[in-house]
Amino acid sequence: MPRVRIQRHLQQVLLEVKDILETFGWHGKILRVNLSSETTVSEEIEAETLNGFVGGRGLGVNILFDELKLAADPLSPENKLVFAVGPVTGSGAPMSGRHAVISKSPLTGGVFDSNSGGSFGAEFKSAGFDALVLDGKASSPVYLWVSDGEAEIRDASAAWGRDTQETTHRLLEETSSKASVACIGPAGENLVKIACIMNDYHRAAGRGGLGAVMGSKNLKAIVVHGDSKTQIAKEDAFREVTRTIASLLKTVPLTKDSLPTFGTSVLVNVINEHGMFPTRNFEEGVFNDAEAISGEKLKERIFLKPYACRSCPVGCGRITSVEGQEIGGPEYETLWALGAQCAVNNLEDVALANHLCNKLGLDTISMGNTIGCAMELSERGLIDEPVRWGDSRRMISLVEETAYRRGLGEDLAEGSRVLAKRHGAAELAMQVKGLELPAYDPRGVQGQALAFATSNRGGCHLRSYMIGPEVLGSPVLVDRFEWQAKPKLVMLFQNLSAAMDTLVMCRFSSFAVAVEHYARLLSAVVGISFDTQRFLQLGERIWTMERLFNAREGFRGGDDVLPARFLEHPLTEGGSRGMKVHLSGMLERYYKARGWDEQGNPKPELLARLGIMA
Amino acid sequence: MTDPSVDGLLITDPTKFEKQLKELHVAPEKLASMIDHTKLSPDKTASSIENLCDEAKAYGFASVCVNPYWVPLVSRGLQGSTVKVCTVISFPLGSSLPEAKVEEARLAAEAGASELDMVMNIGAMRDGKHDVVENDIRGVVNLARQKGALVKVILEVGYLTDEQVRQSCEIAEAAGADFVKTATGFGPMGATIHHVRIMRETVGERMGVKAAGGIRNFKDVLRMIAAGASRIGTSAGVEIMEGYRWAELSEAWTDIEEIPCKLCPVRAADTGKMPKDVYSYYKGKCHECAYKDTYNRFYWR
Repeated sequence: MPRVRIQRHLQQVLLEVKDILETFGWHGKILRVNLSSETTVSEEIEAETLNGFVGGRGLGVNILFDELKLAADPLSPENKLVFAVGPVTGSGAPMSGRHAVISKSPLTGGVFDSNSGGSFGAEFKSAGFDALVLDGKASSPVYLWVSDGEAEIRDASAAWGRDTQETTHRLLEETSSKASVACIGPAGENLVKIACIMNDYHRAAGRGGLGAVMGSKNLKAIVVHGDSKTQIAKEDAFREVTRTIASLLKTVPLTKDSLPTFGTSVLVNVINEHGMFPTRNFEEGVFNDAEAISGEKLKERIFLKPYACRSCPVGCGRITSVEGQEIGGPEYETLWALGAQCAVNNLEDVALANHLCNKLGLDTISMGNTIGCAMELSERGLIDEPVRWGDSRRMISLVEETAYRRGLGEDLAEGSRVLAKRHGAAELAMQVKGLELPAYDPRGVQGQALAFATSNRGGCHLRSYMIGPEVLGSPVLVDRFEWQAKPKLVMLFQNLSAAMDTLVMCRFSSFAVAVEHYARLLSAVVGISFDTQRFLQLGERIWTMERLFNAREGFRGGDDVLPARFLEHPLTEGGSRGMKVHLSGMLERYYKARGWDEQGNPKPELLARLGIMA
Repeated sequence: MTDPSVDGLLITDPTKFEKQLKELHVAPEKLASMIDHTKLSPDKTASSIENLCDEAKAYGFASVCVNPYWVPLVSRGLQGSTVKVCTVISFPLGSSLPEAKVEEARLAAEAGASELDMVMNIGAMRDGKHDVVENDIRGVVNLARQKGALVKVILEVGYLTDEQVRQSCEIAEAAGADFVKTATGFGPMGATIHHVRIMRETVGERMGVKAAGGIRNFKDVLRMIAAGASRIGTSAGVEIMEGYRWAELSEAWTDIEEIPCKLCPVRAADTGKMPKDVYSYYKGKCHECAYKDTYNRFYWR
């Protein structure tokens, strides 16, 4: 197995900054927990690792690359599950209240990082660690209690089988009301491959089935709390840059008005008007009932209060109320997945299905997308039982069946790729590399299409959020149908996203904050100078390592593909009418821009430039 | 079909225009020094105007441009800085009596304004009463000279044909104004490459050209500069400067050509907001355009 290390010539420099690295921003510690042997060990992180990968996604990917056995079964004890935060976490910098979860995904078979808000990340950091690495499998259900530098594996038999809300409530009572809980629901316990990890009741590390990885280890929850502070290297510089970031968030209309007022659901009408709001399993890009599930309607009918993650001045989260239940969401992606994707126009039912997903521990995007796939299979007579477009009651029952692997839910629990293949129509699964696509029809937005196809974790919008420049005009509006010059832009956003995920900062901050400010923020916190280019190179290094990880697991350039629907069938109505994805032309340019060969493999000179030795 | 390089609204080949932006090499400090940081909507409150001053000082903008009521506050807010105080006269309609314009200008100048953006008498211009328009401008210019202020004449191009835009520039120059300016931002059309070009061609290097109206991002600004603008009026100064940080990170921003129709003034032509003759003038141009079949997805497909 090839191993990746930062080149040795950097080591002398790294030794000189070792003291800084371990004093400011980071704790310099990983908590390692082997659930088979029930051992917990605090381990120092090497300075070169912190310098080269910083934190969050970078740290997790590096651990996985170095330590995970080739072709390891994602649901076996040998798979590793990493929770990681960054140097900025817990500093109080705006929009820094997030954490990353990294593992090999049971849904895609590739490296996977999932990102969540709330307060879990900040609490974990306060408990005294930069990362938690779990492997092995407990002999019976357990949870991990991490508090002020100490870790304890505790019995979770009483919580096993309970939903995420009951579990959270119960474990807070058992530990501390000030603690934060990340846990799985029945879906994760039943190894459902689209199971998520919920934290702080309403937030989710949603994608990639990492809840199933947790379930495979008999780990019900992780509870964290601590009082340690993130030390800042350059207080004055930190104050200045955080003041700038806060001011920008209050200046740019998206972060000042749109997101606080409507949350992400403000996008429903916007994307529908562009003719790229996927409808009925991506058959079309216009949902005639979009207004009924829009952010405006949500605010009018079921909105209860906004929700903000730790250190966030924006507060894009929504807490809604339906039938007396307090619901976290629905956010834009969920309104689409459990709405237009299934042709459901009943807002209350969308919210209830969302609530059920949260409680049972299911990724709402993959769940809704997969149900939409089942509906199309059923409408085409490929599934015996009726699952009709727009049948919201059936949709809700399928959520439950999936979590418990009952009936048709047994197939849905494997995700859309397996579901469609089992029923003889693989082409009807709207996924990339096994991960279900989110709420943007790629035909209407060429750069985002390329971002979907080339994402290391599969059908994901957040690895390069091209909707920013192609639809929202952030930082500048570019023609969304143009494709020839998009590869370089996709690459820039992929690198930036990976770099941001090391801090760990919210993606939405980039609507207002330029790359330079992230670099300044990181520099101020850790006391080592990161300029814009160095910061972006950090992202490029992580992206390349993920690509290498997937390559050794058997992924090839041919996996950078979209479902045939997007390549062969133009949309027939709306603002993107007549459009298909120009994927092959974009891929060729993208590989070249990346410094990869024609098969999509990073060239040796690129690895040398990034300080990666494979 | 008309050759677009001669008669089309986008005078040169639009597929090459965006690439010109690469050649500009405008330093961020220079870009900031060209921006009039503007808030003219009537709902703004004192705290937002104070914030505007802080931003202008932080980024080094050319001026803060506000309605006359806010001039004393802005004068205090900018004290000790190099940022100028700019205000608007007879805004946004331009139909005040010449004496009223002069008096409004006097009060503003005495309160601290050193740049006066006056709206010309648009109706008189459309009536062909050029002497009325010129005298109207001259009155404010004379007052400004006494007070050491400069004058920018807002043409409000959305009410004018190209020929009237040219004539307005000539009149403003004859009246001694310092700048010609495209629009108020409250009229039927904002700043366009087309109009800025005409204005620059007409006034040469003898006057400044201020592009204002609908300028929201750094690419809009670069387009205006490439077309000949020497000053930019915008309420999105901060977003533009922050966005400009992205420009150096990838050539792709300028590699991606904008659809020419999106840059063309015809796109903003609106029968509900414009005089019928001006509306017809623009729409007629659209039908003659050589690019309509190639690019105009929105109108022709």
